[in-house]
Amino acid sequence: MKYPEIDKYAELDSLIHRFDPRAKIITFTLLIFSFVFIEDIRIAFVSLLFSSFILLVSRIPFGFIFNRMKPGLIFVMPFLIVMPFALDGNVLYSYNGISISYDGLYYGSLVVIRAATSIMLTLIMLGTTKMDTTMKSLHSLKVPSPFVQTLMFSYRYIFVFIDEFLSMWTSMKAKGFKVKANKHSLSIIGNLVGMILVRSYERAERVYHSMASKGYTGESRTIVKFKMQTADYGLAAILIGTVLIFIIYGMSLS
Amino acid sequence: MKTAISITDLNYSYPDGTKALDNVNIEVEQGEKIVIMGPNGAGKTTLFLHLNGVIRAEQDNVKIFGNNIGSMKTEDRIREVGVVFAEPDDQLFMSTVYDDIAFGPLNMGLSEEEVDRRVKKALATVGLEGFEDKVPHHMSFGQKKKAALAAVLSMEPRVLVLDEPTANLDPKSRADLIRVINDLNKNHGITTVIAMHDINALSELADRVYVLNRSIVAEGPTRDIFSDHVLVKENNLDAPDIFKFFKIMKCFGGDCDQTPMSIDESVKELTQAIEALEGKMSLHIHESTHEMVNDVISSYRH
Ligand SMILES: Nc1ncnc2c1ncn2[C@@H]1O[C@H](COP(=O)(O)OP(=O)(O)O)[C@@H](O)[C@H]1O
Ligand SMILES: [Mg+2]
Repeated sequence: MKYPEIDKYAELDSLIHRFDPRAKIITFTLLIFSFVFIEDIRIAFVSLLFSSFILLVSRIPFGFIFNRMKPGLIFVMPFLIVMPFALDGNVLYSYNGISISYDGLYYGSLVVIRAATSIMLTLIMLGTTKMDTTMKSLHSLKVPSPFVQTLMFSYRYIFVFIDEFLSMWTSMKAKGFKVKANKHSLSIIGNLVGMILVRSYERAERVYHSMASKGYTGESRTIVKFKMQTADYGLAAILIGTVLIFIIYGMSLS
Repeated sequence: MKTAISITDLNYSYPDGTKALDNVNIEVEQGEKIVIMGPNGAGKTTLFLHLNGVIRAEQDNVKIFGNNIGSMKTEDRIREVGVVFAEPDDQLFMSTVYDDIAFGPLNMGLSEEEVDRRVKKALATVGLEGFEDKVPHHMSFGQKKKAALAAVLSMEPRVLVLDEPTANLDPKSRADLIRVINDLNKNHGITTVIAMHDINALSELADRVYVLNRSIVAEGPTRDIFSDHVLVKENNLDAPDIFKFFKIMKCFGGDCDQTPMSIDESVKELTQAIEALEGKMSLHIHESTHEMVNDVISSYRH
């Protein structure tokens, strides 16, 4: 298993990397939300191309992003497979009473393209900023503190969690354990999951102790130093302008 | 001499009924080096949680420099006692090393310049200059241990409490850590209280030892504690190998004034003993040598 290190390429240098992290979060969120509501498949496709162009500018390897897009895409794939059969509309092809509808295919593809675009943009946003900077930006954008802290601790401890899981898994395999579809195997896996839950609970308690002994009272305090430059305003304006063009063009079609 | 820590009749049971501390009494002077030894589950970590008020004692039984720790303000409490726990991953909970080390000072309400100064200083003290932007999952265990110590040192506490600081470290990291702790004690007047099983680091880190096994079983200078082999055995402890070796050498007629606890001490003791014998020490086997050797060995064997 690999670490889910989204910010592996955050140290590269590009226009997107240099973009002020707060402005980046706002404009990318705007981009994602407006692209998700695109109704026309051609415009949706152009938005996907546009996102790929941003990816190109960011210099993050395409394979890296694509690997991380896969889980999300696999999740929406069923739409593309089911919708053509489920939706009524212009019949594209019919065989023994089972028919594939044009509308189903259209909407299925639309869902997949929208998903690909928004996942890609999210990954570029997260991938071009170091995770701690993203968290600090959220904090300075006045996102509620419990939410930011939950995100932060989840991201921090997912690595510890994976290490813990791997070491237990390795020791089980070292003792000859093989996953089989039987009751014994299932009960052992159940046991493993239980162990992980108990350990996480105990760890949470120890982390809390260590925070309390450093004076934690619920507020997470960090030093945040951000400064918007002219270039940041410029890039934000360009991206927001693009959003507007997409929206206006979309409206003119309908 | 001021009393740094004063614990009187401390009792504690966990909510599930486990009695972890039973009538514990401890008194530590300012500037002392104290080691607390005891088997696993003896209550060492539980005791430490009381020392900086994470667990509040019901009565005023834990006093730091005369003040009851339970009624102190958060900022004052963390200024007096800093606790470094055993597991570094539990203590590096922020996203970068910088943020972790700045966490305590920020909670103390210090200015950003002062926080920055303290982070730099703490990193330099533990020898992790340039690690500000590192994330914990890219660091070795030894580096994480040092960072966890730095995250407590940045609060500049007067009493430093360490739970198993040398456990699982490679020899170099272990030596580094012992050196840092000793330097803080010797040159900065910081009182140190350490829980550990690392008997070979004892003579360097302890003026005095407490043996804890739910209650305080024994207290005294290191050598006295380890000379009592019944005590050592009953509490799952062990004496340093060099200590046992000199006990054995005594059976062969090589007697020193005091049984050394460390390599450094052994050089000193041997030199003294041999000089007193006008430059020559002879070892020999007599009737009861083997019997005596067996006694020594079996008295410390578990
Ligand atoms: N959160 C907890 N809940 C219940 N019992 C605990 C808890 N933490 C520790 N204990 C118990 O308290 C006793 C002392 O534990 P601890 O202070 O961790 O010992 P040590 O650090 O000396 O190994 C042990 O019997 C342990 O099982
Ligand atoms: Mg412990």
